[in-house]
Amino acid sequence: MTSIMVVDDDQDLAEMLGIVLTGAGYEVDLVNRGDEVMPLFTVHAPDLVLLDVMLPGLNGVEVCKLIREVSMVPIVMLSARGDKQDVVAGLEAGADDYMVKPFDPLELVARMKVRLRRSAVEVNTELCIGNLKIDQIEHSIIRDGQTIALTRLEFDLLVALAKEPGRVFSREALLSEVWGYRPATDTRLVNVHIQRLRSKIEINPEDPKVIVTVRGVGYKAGVPGNSQ
Amino acid sequence: MKFQLKPPLKAWRSSLVFRVTGTIVALSLILIWLLGSALFSRVSSGIFDEKLTLSILDAQSTARNTQIQLTYSKYQDKAALTLVFDDILALPPRTFEGTAKEIAVFSFPNINDTFKFDGTSNLLDPKSIPENFREITRKANETRWERANLIYLDGSIEPGIVVGQDLIIAGVGKYEFYVVFSLSQQEKTMTLIFNYLLLAGIVLTFLIGLTTYFAMRRLIAPIQDAARVAEELTKGNLDLRMDFQGEDEIASLGYSFNEMAVSLQQQISRLENLSKLQQRFVSDVSHELRTPLTTIRMASQVIFATKDTFEPTVARSAELLISQIERFESLLTDLLEVSRFDAQAAIMEIEETDLVALVKETIDYVHPSQDRIVILHAPNTPIMVDVDPRRIKRIIRNLISNALDHRENQRVDVQIAESENEVSVGVRDYGSGFNYTDRKMLFERFWRADSSRARSTGGTGLGLSISLEDAKLHQGEIEVWGERGRGAHFVLTIPKYAGGSIESRPISAQL
Repeated sequence: MTSIMVVDDDQDLAEMLGIVLTGAGYEVDLVNRGDEVMPLFTVHAPDLVLLDVMLPGLNGVEVCKLIREVSMVPIVMLSARGDKQDVVAGLEAGADDYMVKPFDPLELVARMKVRLRRSAVEVNTELCIGNLKIDQIEHSIIRDGQTIALTRLEFDLLVALAKEPGRVFSREALLSEVWGYRPATDTRLVNVHIQRLRSKIEINPEDPKVIVTVRGVGYKAGVPGNSQ
Repeated sequence: MKFQLKPPLKAWRSSLVFRVTGTIVALSLILIWLLGSALFSRVSSGIFDEKLTLSILDAQSTARNTQIQLTYSKYQDKAALTLVFDDILALPPRTFEGTAKEIAVFSFPNINDTFKFDGTSNLLDPKSIPENFREITRKANETRWERANLIYLDGSIEPGIVVGQDLIIAGVGKYEFYVVFSLSQQEKTMTLIFNYLLLAGIVLTFLIGLTTYFAMRRLIAPIQDAARVAEELTKGNLDLRMDFQGEDEIASLGYSFNEMAVSLQQQISRLENLSKLQQRFVSDVSHELRTPLTTIRMASQVIFATKDTFEPTVARSAELLISQIERFESLLTDLLEVSRFDAQAAIMEIEETDLVALVKETIDYVHPSQDRIVILHAPNTPIMVDVDPRRIKRIIRNLISNALDHRENQRVDVQIAESENEVSVGVRDYGSGFNYTDRKMLFERFWRADSSRARSTGGTGLGLSISLEDAKLHQGEIEVWGERGRGAHFVLTIPKYAGGSIESRPISAQL
């Protein structure tokens, strides 16, 4: 059974989330303090973490960083502030997605499902992007024989671009393809994750060769053999 | 000190220093000119009069000597006479000053041909003595004078005085006798005096101008300082004060000015604190409301999901609960956005965006159907603009939703047009419209033209106010036209490039 860790200091909200998620068929752990997350995380190893930003003990952004040090588990931040700084701080700390309170529970479950699904690619086809080889079994990529670990979201993002090498993806297209969003939502999500991904896989993130920006439109996969 | 070259007319209008200095210099020029000319004419007439007196005396004594010489000479024929005259003309004595002195002799017309003699000394052209003066001299019995030019046969000309009288040779007749004196020495002196006077005048005018300029600058510096400080205060640099010393009128200006600045600063900071506190409160309230609202929303959804098992009234209640929570939520979101604008904490995220695609997407989002109610009139080519797409999308969404709410079963036209630096999006409906006089009120928070009707169509009452703020963030504007029963026309116009401003409107709201 898929297990979800819900971290929120508001007990009523946490309980309500518990009811909704249990109803959707998940196993739920409730945590109320930021500093209680890591001890429990190592024991329970949840499949996804819902993480509030404002937490007693240790704030959500810090917790997110700690989790990323040990795991690539999907993290969805819950924020009471839709402000840029908050959201960006969470995403930069390694969160995959965020929901601004008050969110629609149905949408939350839908997003969680997208984050939990295994990307259905044929294992046999060899995918490349730029000069990087994508290892679809290990969910990682290989550059010069070295494996670079990616979160599942980053991997999905890369695979989405690599599957259609010629296509230019708009931010909206990536949002619906990778995050499962309906249109007209926040494209900052894409910007931040592309940046994170570039800092991991590009030799020079200032001059990206693997994920190329198409000005005014979006992004596309880099051409193999291009000086990488 | 910074010197700037301005066009004179502009400097004249904008600078008191320039104007006062200019006026004083002009007045001194006139005064110095008048004084100088008076002085010059007195001096020159004095010099001329002296020369004239000397010349007449000299001429008379020369004539007398000549007359004596002629009287004692013996001659019976022309040759002898010529010899005598040549002798007189050959060595004209110089004047005391050493300037040229010439002599001319002409016989009267009635002289016998045998004794006719016309001659001048030293290549002097006989034309130097004016004809009318000769006539006057012939008729008069005394010494006469006139100003004339000394013309030499080699072409040179000098100013001079001609003194004329008669010579008489007994038994022969009368001769005209002219002594001509050059005034070149006097001319030279006058030129010199004139040059000195001119130089003195120029130097004096310049000194007066310079003194006035620096005196004015000194006087005006505190005023300029006050103007500069006032300007800085206006810009919000409230800590700036005027420098002043002493206890004169200027110092009292500085003192009062600084008093004013202090009081201004206190009032502004008091108001600032108040409004900051208030904005912070609104923002905090909005955030604090969000967590319980999330719980309520989830709870209502859980209840709603099982509404089939409820009594009809309970089921309807669950529906109302859900819809009102949604409304509450959008109110909260808008309120938060408004508080961000009030706190001037709104952040622009500029991206190069195709406005045509953005409007198309927004229409699909607001009204996702094929029924051709919202009709787009746009160029086929992309229009690239530097905007915060989230905000522009929100404006367009708002305008189209408004139009759809009030369309009264008519179509809604959405038009995009561009000029070189601006782009407009117009949203026109043919529905209920509004009183044109209310157009300014539309953008006020929670304002409703017709409370009973508007409320039934939903909307938070903050949409247009937020849209206007969003437009202003882009240095843009929203123009409005409307008439009751004929519909409404809202036009968003923004500069295409970040940092630009609107100079023309590709679409006008007026029909």
